[in-house]
Amino acid sequence: MAEDSQRNFRSVYYEKVGFRGVEEKKSLEILLKDDRLDIEKLCTFSQRFPLPSMYRILVWKVLLGIIPPHHESHALVMKYRTEQYRDVYHALQVIRFIKDSTPQVEVFLRMHQLESGRLPRNLAFPLEPEDEVFLAIAKAMEEVVEDNIDCYWLVSSFVNQLNNKYKDSLPQLPKVLEQYLNVEDNRLLAHLKACSAVSKLPYNLWFKKCFAGCLPESSLQRIWDKVISGSCKILVFVALEILLTFKMKIMALTNAEKITQFLENIPQDNTDAIVSKAIDLWHKHCGTPVHLV
Amino acid sequence: MAQQANIGELFSMLDSSVLLVQEDITAVFKDNLNSDRGPVLVNMLVDYYLENHSQQALQILSTLQEPHDKHLLDKINEYMGKAATRLHTLSLLGHVIRRQPSWKHKLSQAPLLLSLLKCLKTDTDVVVLTTGVLVLITMLPMIPQSGKMYLHDFFGIFGRLSSWCLKNPGHVAEIYLVHLHASVYALFHRLYGMYPCNFVSFLRSHYSMKENLETFEEVVKPMMEHVRIHPELVTGSKDHELDPRRWKRLETHDVVIECAKISLDPKEASYEDSYYSVSQSVSICLQPRQIDPNASPYIDTHSSYGTSTSTPYSTPRLTLSQMQGQLPQILSPQSTRLSTEPQQVTIWSPSAICGMTTPPTSPGIVSSESSQTSSQPYSKYFSTPGGKGTPLGTPATSPPPPCISDDFVHVSLPSAAATPPKKEDKPDPGRPSLSRQQNVINSEKALEVPGSKSSVNLSDLPEFLGCLASDEDSVEKDREEDAISKEISEITTADAEPVVPRGGFDSPFYRTSESLPASQRKPHSVASSVQGHSLSSEPLASSLDKSGPEGARDTPKQAFTPIDRPCVASDESPAGNRVGQSSMETSILTPSPCKVPAKRRMGFGSGQPPSYEHLFEVALPKTAYLFVSKKTEELLKKVKGNQDEDCTSSTSPMEVLDRLIQQGADAHTKELNKLPLPSKSADWTHFGGSPPSDEIHTLRNQLLLLHNQLLYERFKRQQHALRNRRLLRKVIKATALEEHNAAMKDQLKLQEKDIHSLKLSLQKEQARYHQFQEEHDNIVAQLHSQIRQLQHDREEFYNQSQELQTKLKDCRNMIADLRLELKKANNKVCHTELLLSQVSQKLSNSESVQQQMEFLNRQLLVLGEVNELYLEQLQHKHADTTKEVEMMQAAFRKELEKAKFCVQQQSQRLDASQKRIVELESQLSKKDHLLLEQKKYLEDVKIQARDQLQAVESRYKAQKRITQAFELEILDLYGRWEKDSLLKKLDDEKTEAAEAAEERLDCSNEGFADSVAGYSEEAIGRNGETKPPSTRGSSSSKGSSSELSTPEKSQNQRMGQFSSHWEASMLLEPSTSVPLTVGSLPSSKSFLGMKVRELFRNKSESQCDEEGMTINSLSDTLKSELCKDPSMVEAKAPSSPDNPSPSPMNQESSVGQLHIMDYNETHHDHS
Repeated sequence: MAEDSQRNFRSVYYEKVGFRGVEEKKSLEILLKDDRLDIEKLCTFSQRFPLPSMYRILVWKVLLGIIPPHHESHALVMKYRTEQYRDVYHALQVIRFIKDSTPQVEVFLRMHQLESGRLPRNLAFPLEPEDEVFLAIAKAMEEVVEDNIDCYWLVSSFVNQLNNKYKDSLPQLPKVLEQYLNVEDNRLLAHLKACSAVSKLPYNLWFKKCFAGCLPESSLQRIWDKVISGSCKILVFVALEILLTFKMKIMALTNAEKITQFLENIPQDNTDAIVSKAIDLWHKHCGTPVHLV
Repeated sequence: MAQQANIGELFSMLDSSVLLVQEDITAVFKDNLNSDRGPVLVNMLVDYYLENHSQQALQILSTLQEPHDKHLLDKINEYMGKAATRLHTLSLLGHVIRRQPSWKHKLSQAPLLLSLLKCLKTDTDVVVLTTGVLVLITMLPMIPQSGKMYLHDFFGIFGRLSSWCLKNPGHVAEIYLVHLHASVYALFHRLYGMYPCNFVSFLRSHYSMKENLETFEEVVKPMMEHVRIHPELVTGSKDHELDPRRWKRLETHDVVIECAKISLDPKEASYEDSYYSVSQSVSICLQPRQIDPNASPYIDTHSSYGTSTSTPYSTPRLTLSQMQGQLPQILSPQSTRLSTEPQQVTIWSPSAICGMTTPPTSPGIVSSESSQTSSQPYSKYFSTPGGKGTPLGTPATSPPPPCISDDFVHVSLPSAAATPPKKEDKPDPGRPSLSRQQNVINSEKALEVPGSKSSVNLSDLPEFLGCLASDEDSVEKDREEDAISKEISEITTADAEPVVPRGGFDSPFYRTSESLPASQRKPHSVASSVQGHSLSSEPLASSLDKSGPEGARDTPKQAFTPIDRPCVASDESPAGNRVGQSSMETSILTPSPCKVPAKRRMGFGSGQPPSYEHLFEVALPKTAYLFVSKKTEELLKKVKGNQDEDCTSSTSPMEVLDRLIQQGADAHTKELNKLPLPSKSADWTHFGGSPPSDEIHTLRNQLLLLHNQLLYERFKRQQHALRNRRLLRKVIKATALEEHNAAMKDQLKLQEKDIHSLKLSLQKEQARYHQFQEEHDNIVAQLHSQIRQLQHDREEFYNQSQELQTKLKDCRNMIADLRLELKKANNKVCHTELLLSQVSQKLSNSESVQQQMEFLNRQLLVLGEVNELYLEQLQHKHADTTKEVEMMQAAFRKELEKAKFCVQQQSQRLDASQKRIVELESQLSKKDHLLLEQKKYLEDVKIQARDQLQAVESRYKAQKRITQAFELEILDLYGRWEKDSLLKKLDDEKTEAAEAAEERLDCSNEGFADSVAGYSEEAIGRNGETKPPSTRGSSSSKGSSSELSTPEKSQNQRMGQFSSHWEASMLLEPSTSVPLTVGSLPSSKSFLGMKVRELFRNKSESQCDEEGMTINSLSDTLKSELCKDPSMVEAKAPSSPDNPSPSPMNQESSVGQLHIMDYNETHHDHS
């Protein structure tokens, strides 16, 4: 609290003008200065504010457990991770699953498969749906993260988190979406129901791929901030906001297929606003996480 | 076409002689007009009217309704353009306009107005001009506001016509000019009344020019003398008087009256307001008379009596006079005049005029009343009405009454005085009814020409008064009469000058009959004529010589026998009489040319009183009466029609008059034509007049003009009537208010009276009140004195009582004192009694005490003796015990000191130990703190280590996956390779190879192979490949089974074997190094080793004595071992060959153990 009072008095106005994250960056730096990082606080921070991009990778890595909370062991652990990456990479090369020309995303996929022991017998095996999810996420992550090793680890950890931590909650999300849509705009819901498009909405794209490939990376990483920090409900609100934003167009469409097709290829020009609104909506419905900083 | 023909027929039937047919046709036309909006019918009607002068057509046209007005106006406009039809068109227009149709406001916009103005500006026909001007004058008040744009046209017309009057450029007959002059005068009035500022400025500019100066002097100036200054000239302006607001609230009749107001002419001017106090007063006097004449024609004449006697009921008196003084022979010459007078009455009264053409009118009755004899000659006249029908006669004859009355005053007054007018009614009970009836009928007639009658009266008045004044000496008069006449004479003499010329100007009837110029030229003669009327007639007549033909024509008219020469002759005498008697009127008002013949005739006819004169007058109405009663067919058709109308009295009297005039004119022309030319020519040429044919034309025109004038005057009268009705209502209201006022005043007075009486009573009451008050004061004063006396007494008594009271108090006090003393004495007595009893008791007590004292004294003595005995015994016994006591004391003291010292020591020790305790506690807390820190640190480190370990583990897992993948790959490759080789080699070779492999496997360590194989199989199983569960059993079974199995199976098995072999070889290296330690215990240095040893000992049941020592050693080694532990564990992990997978578990458990032990240790430390 003492620290809070020392915060820049302009911070209130920054937010009004739209410069979010000016003050947050400082508080994040303070958080990151701690030896033995406080994962809880980082989670809360990440849920509450958008992460500054320069700290995003670090925070993600910490939150996903790629690097430990102790600064001392960072180097060592990263060394291990790197070696592991190289080993796996090398092994895949040896067994000729990847070549130099193989796209990085596929490399990640094969590595992940190898690590999880799901490597198919040969390359000819068709990709399973979860592999496609992985590929989509990896592709998005590749845009965000420059370093291959970091990228691999982030993708792999992210997917693992989805598969483990959100295993139970992800299938519930369509229902939740319907519920919130009923609250926000029941006319739209009625329309969707009338078109029997409720069940055909691109849930796979939205909730399994976490909007990878649906939104541009700049918007995506803000959503993923929340997902990584432990809230998969944000996905519902992004989906809800997309529906509300393109309400008029959806209302104009009467065919479920057309609606799905449209939603899978929504225009990319205003996604930042959608995400901001979605976050506001999320805060509105689920409450702002307690400010622990 | 059929329609057209039909209409033609209708037109022919329009003037049908049958009344019912006429009405029907008129109705048909009106229906047609209502249904048809086209112009055809209207046009045809106009055509028809212009051709035939049909009254019915005129009737229909003048009542046309809104939609047809345009057609009518257009048609009229069309005909206006043609010179031939202009006159009739104008008269038609006049008729239409005088009706004041509802569309009159449209006139200002109609082109007709323009063409009318144009016509007035350019036309040279006097008749047309006069008619047009009259139409224009009639029209002006109807379009006051919209007419302003033509203002300069109006002025221009006025200028033109006024100069025309003077210069006479057309050289038309003078008689026309008279009409024109009259109409110009009317126009002057109208323009000056409506647009004073503009008009005056026009006059200023127009007559400032030299060439117009003469016109101004001659024509305009006299006109201006008869108007007062218009108030608008002072308050208004040119623009203001054209302001629509000014006209908006004025109706047509308002405008007309407005114009009349500014006239100084008493006949023309309105008396509504007090502009003319004089004329007003005159009018007040006149009004009753004017009303009366309207009632009966008689009163016209007798109104003069009325004025003299101030009795309105003059009619009966006249009849009475006539009845009483029956015959002219009996009467003096003056009475003959009197008798002529009624005759004249009949002559100039409208009914008489009507009588010419319409016999059934009242005059018949009147005459029959007055005298029923000798109706014959008159009837003859009636049958040949000739020029009588013309109204020209009326003004000429009208003047007489004053003079006659004047004369009559001398004669009849006594009788009148003897028999008051009211009584006179009674003597002839049969007559009143008749006269009433006649009155009623006459009133209708009279309405038509009120102007003429009033003008007669008005104009008569001054003359009459003049006569009155002159005859004052000779005549006996009532006082009243005298007073009134005086008043009136004052008024009239003051008015005399203006009145005279006015008479000439104002009334069109005078003008028509007498030449105005003459009258204008002779204003000076008025004064003389007023005094000496009969004398002055001659000079006047001579001065009026010029008039010529008119004079000739006039006389016959006045005599009612214009045609018959003998009659004229016979009539000469009355005419002469009249002229002689009333010459001053004629000279003043009607200086007509007829004076000359009259004069001439007077020469021989003046002296003789025509005895039958009165019979004429009587006879005339008589015949008329007969005419009515019989409805004779001898009359002309037109007359008959009119008569019928009169009988039915369905048409208005005005229409009748119109028709009369017109038909009279027609009849006149017929008669004229019938006349032998010489008689006519002789008459007219005698005076050097124009040729006869022209004359007829002139007369006709004159007639027309006269008619127009009449119509114009009637129009004015209608406006006046309208006005009158309105004013009457106002008067009624005003009178009501006045009465109300009076009532209020009365009430006020009553109340004032009340107040006064109340005041009086108040004063009385006040006086009484004063009296009462005085009495009251006296009584009060008496009472006061009594009171004072009584009070004084009371005070004395009071003082006495007070004295007595004080005495009483003193006594009481004394009594109280005495009582107190008594009480005290009683007390004392009681007290002493008590004391006495006490003392007696004490006394007895003291006696007993004395006895005891004696006894005790004896005892004391005995005890003293005993004491002395004991003292002696005590002195004998003494011993030494003090030494012992001192010794004991010293011993006790020493013991005390020792104890004290001991206590001191103890306390010192206590302090020391306490300090020690504090120190130790602080140390303890420090250690605790340290320990906590250590623990934290340890935890931190542990977490760190765990994280790192996790990383490593994941790495390890990855490695494992890698190796698995590799293995898979290798196996795959082997599989392929073997497949290839299998294809190549034979079956025996296969078996050999299999045996060789089997042997090799046997040679190798079985256990290891087993485990490795198991492991590998497990790995394969994990990779999702199914495998027979039996493979784990024994290698021999494998081998046997492999032999039996299919090549595929065997391959699989072999692969498993090979892999196991490979695995074994790979794992052999660590296992070779490990066995050294496997058998033996781990080194004593290592923590685990110690643990294992411990366990071993436990197992071997060799109880160790050095348990505490081991703990100590554990604690010692803990710190150093802890760091090495993971690596050592790691290193030792593979040493457990049986189960490689649980190794991490083991590791973790060991860590957990460590953890537990840590805590144990710390606890131990603490304890």
